[in-house]
Amino acid sequence: MTRITDVRGPLDPADFNRRTFLDAVLAVGFVSTAAAIAYPVLRFLAPPANAETETATAVAGKAGALKPNSGVIFRFGSKPGIVVRTADGDVRAFSAVCTHLDCTVQFKADTSELWCACHNGTYDLGGNVVSGPPPRALEKFVVNLRGEPGDEDIVVSRA
Amino acid sequence: MVQRVVDWVDERVDLSGLRHFIAEKGVPVHTQKIWYYLGGMTMFLLAVQIFTGILLLLYYRPSATEAYESVQFIVTRVPFGWLIRNIHSWSANLLMAAAFAHFFSVFLLKSYRKPRELTWLTGILLLFLMLGFGFSGYLLPWNEVSFFATKVGTGIAGAVPIGGKFFLRLLRGGDDVTGATLSRFYGLHVAVLPALTTVLVAVHLLLVQRQGMSVPLSVERRVKAGEPLRQMPFFPHYVLRDVLTWYVAIAIVAALAAFYPWELGKKADSFAAVPPGIRPEWYFLAMFHTLKLVPSHVLGFEGEHLGVVGFGIAALFLVFVPFLDRRSNRGENSPVFTVLALLGLTYLVTFTIIGHYAR
Amino acid sequence: MSTALPLRVLFLVAALAVIATPRTVRAQTPPAANACRTCHASLTDARLATPANVFAQQDIHRESGFGCVDCHGGDATAADKARAHEAARGFKGVPAGQVQIATCARCHSDAELMRRFSPRQRVDQSAEYVTSVHGKRLATGDTQVATCASCHGAHGIRLVKDAKSPVFPTNVAATCGACHASQTHMARYKLTNGSPLPTNQLAEYQRSVHYAALTTGNDLSAPTCNDCHGNHGAAPPGIGSVANVCGTCHAVFSQKFATSVHQQIFDKGCVECHSNHAVMKPSDEMLGTDAHAICTTCHNGKDDKGAVAADAMRGGIERLKTALDRSGALVARLRNAGIETGAEELALGEARVHLTLARTEMHTFDPGHVEPVIAEGLKTVANVESAGARGVAELQYRRRGLALSLGAILLVVVALAMKIRQLDRTLR
Repeated sequence: MTRITDVRGPLDPADFNRRTFLDAVLAVGFVSTAAAIAYPVLRFLAPPANAETETATAVAGKAGALKPNSGVIFRFGSKPGIVVRTADGDVRAFSAVCTHLDCTVQFKADTSELWCACHNGTYDLGGNVVSGPPPRALEKFVVNLRGEPGDEDIVVSRA
Repeated sequence: MVQRVVDWVDERVDLSGLRHFIAEKGVPVHTQKIWYYLGGMTMFLLAVQIFTGILLLLYYRPSATEAYESVQFIVTRVPFGWLIRNIHSWSANLLMAAAFAHFFSVFLLKSYRKPRELTWLTGILLLFLMLGFGFSGYLLPWNEVSFFATKVGTGIAGAVPIGGKFFLRLLRGGDDVTGATLSRFYGLHVAVLPALTTVLVAVHLLLVQRQGMSVPLSVERRVKAGEPLRQMPFFPHYVLRDVLTWYVAIAIVAALAAFYPWELGKKADSFAAVPPGIRPEWYFLAMFHTLKLVPSHVLGFEGEHLGVVGFGIAALFLVFVPFLDRRSNRGENSPVFTVLALLGLTYLVTFTIIGHYAR
Repeated sequence: MSTALPLRVLFLVAALAVIATPRTVRAQTPPAANACRTCHASLTDARLATPANVFAQQDIHRESGFGCVDCHGGDATAADKARAHEAARGFKGVPAGQVQIATCARCHSDAELMRRFSPRQRVDQSAEYVTSVHGKRLATGDTQVATCASCHGAHGIRLVKDAKSPVFPTNVAATCGACHASQTHMARYKLTNGSPLPTNQLAEYQRSVHYAALTTGNDLSAPTCNDCHGNHGAAPPGIGSVANVCGTCHAVFSQKFATSVHQQIFDKGCVECHSNHAVMKPSDEMLGTDAHAICTTCHNGKDDKGAVAADAMRGGIERLKTALDRSGALVARLRNAGIETGAEELALGEARVHLTLARTEMHTFDPGHVEPVIAEGLKTVANVESAGARGVAELQYRRRGLALSLGAILLVVVALAMKIRQLDRTLR
């Protein structure tokens, strides 16, 4: 390989100020781009508030707020779910998407059933179809209570 | 301050060899010097992939039930997750383009000639590894397109005449594309291929540093005739230029990530029918379309077998090019290989375009 | 005396037991020792041999302990034909027409008897049959109409819930169609206005959603002939009762229809728009005043109040659909770009519920009922759009961030280029 003859020429005084200004600009540039890279990376590394994917589990509210013989709609991913407390105190959760034409079911306290307003479909508290057009039972979810006793969260997850 | 740290290390580990090397290393200056940037660009984009890849694997879950959701989680819930994921997807494509451009420029400039045969060998293997990265990584989001592209691609692998069935089962982790395939591809993508790449890149770079940059045949002849070789110092002149190109690459990747986000697609359903018009990513398109055009039976052999064997022969040929091209070894022009390279380039470009627009 | 007394008591008890046993119709000799079968099975005439063989292989009556003589009469123990077929021993030959109805009803209308074998089974079939078209025509002497054996078979009878039974839900249409789809069989019958009785009902039914649900959808609750026409009391539903019949399943629609102006006007109720046998999946195109709409059969022109109402209802539904499509596309775009859209997708689902409700409400044929539902749906969609606008704002924020970073990068690129030029100058 041929040897390099000249690496740097003598320092030209006229170049001096321009050189340090340019170096300063370059330094600022490098630092700001490094920051522009470091900032998103550091934010990325910090785990988000809800570490679990929401399509697999969701919090459906406080256990204390759910009275016996009542039901509450909650969001599970992008679909509605319904969590129900039976008269005996048992907490159950189902998909609130009616298996007939995807309307949202609701809890009817007078008959203790889940009812769909669109075409009068009814389900019992096991999610099974009692009457009306729905062809299949409601999808059942797994319910767990999590947290301090007296202040538990109802955690619903896919079976 | 930096100087003080360097001196401290120098007292303990003799850095004189390194210092000398940095001061001495030069990059030839001639009309074709622009191609020198491609190697560094490929390396930079590979570094971007490794960096964003490591960030992604902090959140990604490699199971059939969770993969899609974890990517959705990264993109919608993790701060700047969309940015990291999109950079990884776009930079992958740019890396493939840079790798192919680097390969073709070396091929056309005959830089593979003696004494750089090993550099060429490691380089070709690295190119194959990059294709492996692209193929294995493509499945990981576990969406419809990637699932079926993998199904078709591994199916083609099964068309290799001898051991095709075994090879297919090896790739798929079974007879079909399932969660087992995902696990396997994940292992390949984050462990096996990176390990192999590290070794090969180290050898490739070491060789380049030891042997210096190659020059075109015309320049070599002039130097042999006594003309001094014009050079620029590697550090800082060439390095700054390299860094400039890398900054431009960052700008392009960032813009692509923000304006053309990579889609999530629909979650893969192994029981769904193959969507019509399914194709692989562009860097496999030429090969894929060629196989589609080969008639189903040629001279008593199955068309697909012939196609796959043909590609195998082409790959083998590429590996041995430095040993086959005698003329460039002697320092003479080698028009045959130039023509072959140009034909190869034309074929790839044409069939990629045709494959893209074909229905 | 001490030994004779117990003996006499025993004799008395035995005698009482014999007297006290109720006289019931019970199986006579077990089929295995049935002389009927022995003789008939060996006959060369298939008409006489087949029934006996089929009865021996698979029949619910035989499994319950009944034999040939329970329907045909005669003597099952006699090997001699004349003795076996003696009229004095009750032999009736092949029961047909009214005799057949009576033969079956002798057991199947006896509640006490049926309770011993199948307590849940109804015992009013023959009473229903008398009210049916088949029964009424039989009473006038027409022997070509269906009787018990026509649908249930005579010798290889299976339970209704047996999938091979001709009256299992998936088989009912073919069983009815054996006569009702045969032009030769139905040629002698005419409608009240003199035109021939149609025979296309089976073909029409096989095109319908009900048939598809029953066969490919495996929904055994889907209706077949007997669900609308009745089982044993089979007759077409009369004018004014069609909506009730359809309403047994489609309750909400029939309720809405009952409140509408069409209830008094439509002779054929639901059938006017939805057909009776070829019931197809309805579409929004059926409503309105354009080319494919059914309303135009009666309602035409701008002055027609019905046409105006039809247009209003269809317009409302189309507006909601357009809004849903637009929002759906926006949400999909945001989702692909990486914005969290779970809440918006949930709201869109709610809005789609309103579309379903509007299509139900439409059966009141009153835009005043449909509009509020549409408005509710549009309001939900509007909420989604505003949330979507926030998503779009997030995208803009990202682009601004990008622009800033690109600015910094541009600065570096320019400075580097200048630095390189500077260094090159010193090199020369």
